[in-house]
Amino acid sequence: MTHLLQIEDLRVTFNTRYGEVTALDGISMQVSEGETLGVVGESGCGKSITALSVMGLIPSPPGRIAGGAIRLNGEDLTKASEARMRELRGAEMAMIFQEPMTSLNPVFTVGDQIAEAIMLHQNVSRDQAFRDAIALLDRVGIPSPDARARDYPHQLSGGMRQRVMIAMAVSCRPKVLIADEPTTALDVTVQAQIFDLLNEIQRDFGSAIILITHDMGAISEMADRVAVMYAGRVIEEARADDVLDFPQHPYARGLISCIPALGKGEMAETLAEIPGVVPPLHLLGSGCAFADRCSHRQGRCDSEQPRLIAHGHHPAACHAVEEGRI
Amino acid sequence: MSALLDVRNLKVRFAMPKPSLFAPQPYLEAVRGVSFTLEKGRALGIVGESGSGKTTAAMATIRLVPAAGGEILFEGDDLLPLDDEAMRARRRDIQLIFQDPYSSLNPRARVVDIVREPMDLMGIGDADSRLQRVKELFDLVGLRPDQLNLFPHQFSGGQRQRISIARALTTNPKLLVCDEPVSALDVAIQAQILNLLARLKRELGLSYLFISHDLGVVRHLCDDVAVMYLGQIVEQASREALFDSPKHPYTQALLAAAPSLARRKSKGYVRPLKLSGDPPSPINPPKGCAFVERCPMAQEVCRREQPVLKACGPSQVACHFAAA
Repeated sequence: MTHLLQIEDLRVTFNTRYGEVTALDGISMQVSEGETLGVVGESGCGKSITALSVMGLIPSPPGRIAGGAIRLNGEDLTKASEARMRELRGAEMAMIFQEPMTSLNPVFTVGDQIAEAIMLHQNVSRDQAFRDAIALLDRVGIPSPDARARDYPHQLSGGMRQRVMIAMAVSCRPKVLIADEPTTALDVTVQAQIFDLLNEIQRDFGSAIILITHDMGAISEMADRVAVMYAGRVIEEARADDVLDFPQHPYARGLISCIPALGKGEMAETLAEIPGVVPPLHLLGSGCAFADRCSHRQGRCDSEQPRLIAHGHHPAACHAVEEGRI
Repeated sequence: MSALLDVRNLKVRFAMPKPSLFAPQPYLEAVRGVSFTLEKGRALGIVGESGSGKTTAAMATIRLVPAAGGEILFEGDDLLPLDDEAMRARRRDIQLIFQDPYSSLNPRARVVDIVREPMDLMGIGDADSRLQRVKELFDLVGLRPDQLNLFPHQFSGGQRQRISIARALTTNPKLLVCDEPVSALDVAIQAQILNLLARLKRELGLSYLFISHDLGVVRHLCDDVAVMYLGQIVEQASREALFDSPKHPYTQALLAAAPSLARRKSKGYVRPLKLSGDPPSPINPPKGCAFVERCPMAQEVCRREQPVLKACGPSQVACHFAAA
């Protein structure tokens, strides 16, 4: 089966004052049409860098794609020219960012900003583009879209702004939609609305969605597949149900069990916690990056990096899982 | 059991710009008559979305924001009539932990000085005993003694929150007010801090007034919960009652909105209760029930009459249609 978007062994490095640091160390993941891939991990694990690499938005220098490929419908984006990337961005793939206030231009009305995106990629008049923008605002559930299209971003609430961002992102019916923590700045009831909207849009347009989040609850509600990232690597990758019901890697287990439960009954006296923090990338040694925080650390965890291979259930990069110790 | 903190009909309002020079002063009613009781050794969670007045209510409770009315009884004494000097003495018993572990620590001070400062200000002990106390607190919150002389930027977010907790504990307070203490932290780190807070409550007999928008966090740490909407408490209950059988439609909607591992995309879940729109602005609240614009059960009476908190089974609920 060929996938719509396929990331193969991608390596991204940054020049820092500590020398060259590997932000993404050979990651692979893929997403098909109509499917949602959840990318989960703590801050500093490389989730956003993965998204920016796909969009061709890694600041360079200091960043650099040092190896691997990103294939969209077979075309390798790491080799595409800047002009080609500009054609693809917005039309074939689009991104929704975490903070909708800073990603909208404060001096243009939201209708004009959506119309601009439409005119860039489609051969339509300004009037037609503006009418399309109003239709899109209506589609993403903004009440009285005619009036709202003439509003400036500061006149809208956070949830409304995120809807505008989604309207802009889907204006050209992109095949791939990347949502980088799209609800972190929003209240829970509004977050639920945005999640429901993304699911509807996927049903209508058949887009592939890459949802970046640190919340396993969001993964459960939104994702078909999951890639768990840690320190610039994918450490577990499978169908969402498999990862949620049978997490293999100790880090994946930790991420799931450290969420305070909401359902009736079940409640632990103390939450499972993952001690310590994500190590700075320039201090990574030759062993498993998670070893310092892991309760199953043993022998070769300190010397040899585990590979992402299936042991029984689904792929996980862990010596303890490989040796059947957990 | 005696009440440590008994807040009655607390009101807070903020002056808004006048539309014209001779117009009457308009006010934004941020907290509109809130009452709650916190027993010794227990934790009361205040839940709500942004703009619900939960932080303002907590800040007014410890007089960091002036109250416009009501009573705040701390161990039986009303705090509101106290003068500044008397209030300062009382603050020894009431300490605060803030949301942002980055902006709440002085970047130019060493953490040993940050944690010691409340004792300096309150004139507790001498230099040696203060340093000794700081070392004890470092140990208590899970920091190492060799970290005493570092600066805040040398710590991660979770460790900084530990420093904030240590600072709050220096004066041996009875009440800790925690304003979203874990919402700026990664989930894995969040669990570390929640476990620390739970342990401190158990070991030191602390009481918490715990502000959060995250129901899971509140459920884990708090014995009682109050749900706020637009400056009022709409439901108040024990943890078990609130989470096992939420009565107010807003509480039910909050529970339905919170992402949960129990809802799977593969199983095609449908959210049982959906809320449209945003929380209303406190500048111009609806006339009847504050929740009326977003409520799936709203009737004519809801637009006319404001519901009051009344007993509904084991819970207190402000809804015309709450069923026990």
